[in-house]
Amino acid sequence: MKLTRRQFTGRALGTLGAVALTPAGAAWAAGGRDNEMNILCWEGYNTDDVLGPFRKAHPGASVRAESGTSDPDMINKLRAGEINVWDLINVNQPWARDQLYPENLIRPLNKERFMPYFEKMSPEFAKPYPLAFADDGNLLGMPQRYGPFSFVVNTDKISRKMAEDEGWNLFLDPAMKDRYGILTYDNWNVIHMCLTAGLNPFAPVDEAGQAKFRTVAEQLFDGAKLLTDDLVAMNTALINGEIDAYFTGGTYTASPARFDGATNIRGITPSSGPVGGKGGVVWVELTSAVNNPHPSPLAEAFLEFVQQPEICKVVAFAEGTYNPIAQMGNPEVMALFDKDELDAIQMDSLEEEMARSLDYAPVASYDALIDIYTKARRS
Amino acid sequence: MERVDRKLGVLSALPLLALLAVSFLAPLMVIAIFSVMPQKVFSLLNVPDFSSFRVIVEQGYYRSLLWSLGMAAVATVLLFLICWPLAFGMAKVFRRFSLVLTVAVVMSLFVSENIRLFGWVLTLMKGGLIEGHLRAWTGVGFDSPLYNVPIIVFGLVYVYLPFMLFPLAQGISMIPDDARQAAADLGASRARILFEIDLPLAAPGIVVGSLLTFVLAAGAVAESKILGGQAVIVIADDVETAFTFGQNWPLGSALSVLLILIIGGLAVFGVSRVDLDAIMGRRK
Repeated sequence: MKLTRRQFTGRALGTLGAVALTPAGAAWAAGGRDNEMNILCWEGYNTDDVLGPFRKAHPGASVRAESGTSDPDMINKLRAGEINVWDLINVNQPWARDQLYPENLIRPLNKERFMPYFEKMSPEFAKPYPLAFADDGNLLGMPQRYGPFSFVVNTDKISRKMAEDEGWNLFLDPAMKDRYGILTYDNWNVIHMCLTAGLNPFAPVDEAGQAKFRTVAEQLFDGAKLLTDDLVAMNTALINGEIDAYFTGGTYTASPARFDGATNIRGITPSSGPVGGKGGVVWVELTSAVNNPHPSPLAEAFLEFVQQPEICKVVAFAEGTYNPIAQMGNPEVMALFDKDELDAIQMDSLEEEMARSLDYAPVASYDALIDIYTKARRS
Repeated sequence: MERVDRKLGVLSALPLLALLAVSFLAPLMVIAIFSVMPQKVFSLLNVPDFSSFRVIVEQGYYRSLLWSLGMAAVATVLLFLICWPLAFGMAKVFRRFSLVLTVAVVMSLFVSENIRLFGWVLTLMKGGLIEGHLRAWTGVGFDSPLYNVPIIVFGLVYVYLPFMLFPLAQGISMIPDDARQAAADLGASRARILFEIDLPLAAPGIVVGSLLTFVLAAGAVAESKILGGQAVIVIADDVETAFTFGQNWPLGSALSVLLILIIGGLAVFGVSRVDLDAIMGRRK
């Protein structure tokens, strides 16, 4: 074989192209990051309704957002080395407190810049919200969307009063066999199964407790008509009468059905429970600055941007699911919601539900419990 | 000079080979190394302890593996039975109509698998397209067939049909009509022609089709999640859980390695038994 000059040039160029694709090449090709920002978030922040106005306010900036399907999915990206790609990450607070901050995947926010925003938030958050801070006092991220998260019923079949009074025992009732589904958000299921077993999920669970947890997990999986991690599929089954309730759910999962007119689908927070009388759980998202070696100044600018009333409203009703936001303590924000929207996010009972809910925290005996859980689910 | 010239080919290919090795083999290597790391670490710089494989045995993960392989095997057999007459028609009988069939089957691939499966949920669920209409017209309803094992197998058969159909049709088209006619002239029965002419001569197509469907079905997760309501947990689901909510990369890697070894072994065994060049239309 003879190599002509043209062939040689072509191949040399190809080699150069291949080199540019390697990490070293990427660094060489990339410039500064002042005009670039990437957000890794739950669905909502990535919509044009949110990003459009931000792009307009920062012409020329390249703003990109990607939505994850679970907290650990997003955290895996940072762990796998994408820490130099993302500037902001939006996850539920225990994941930020328990996983991201201790492993230096996020960095604290500027308190002087962000503390004033807490003052305008709903009372639960205005104090300010303690779980937005690390144990060392640093501000880890800004809260915005939140919601009570326990279980969901069809109130045509099971009244709200009865569901609240029965609480988690509802699912252990033999009459409920094959009449409920389990929304398989694994880490949430573990928390809720602890509460069903009368245990505190956020304190260490001993041998006897684990045995109780196993019994409850096996009974729940045995009695479930369907398991899915798709909230639309679950709501559809609930609306169609395939099931009457589903284990693990709340405003986050019920709101899309409610906003579509199915107001008989309702998130329920038990009126009593095993942990200081509380039986419900509430999730709160934090949006944090990723510990990017080349941080973008636009990251904190974006965090301020989403505190504006109009943008708050858009975040609450972005797409897919609709959620209460901490900024609703501000009358200006509150005025932007109409009656149907407030009904979709169960504003009528939000305050009492919050009062009956525990803050979502890392599950102390998660390793042992998730093993029991997956084993029960597989059998 | 001759020798240098011959080497030039290899040398020119080197950069691309290196790129392929990095992009294709490196991820597999990382998975393989992670699989022997201690539980719940996120770095490859640990002392290997192979604990994930112990966990797999102790925690009964083999059940998910058996479910996945079992359902994939059943789906493959069903697909072969369904596709054989269809493929035979496409290769030997339908003529022009086989183009219509090909386009129809390929069109279904344009729509995302999840959306197609969710379409089946809307069709089959209680109050869905079928049961809802029946109940509205006759007043008699029935329980939906969703959320159990047979519906998962149905989903696998439905989704992977093209992957059996086309290789099979290709394999059948390699059977010379003369051979079948000669056998018939010599008095062979239809069954004998099938077993002694058709099946052996179409073997490459059968093997390729079966391998494709089996491999894809063994790693499938959407059918069990969407149609099956996770009535059984498949191995791919376990891998996903280990990597995400479990935050246990070594366990997820070990499960992946196990699946890769089993399926890879089967693929190598299958491919070594047939003449792939024949089906690719290459002459030796």
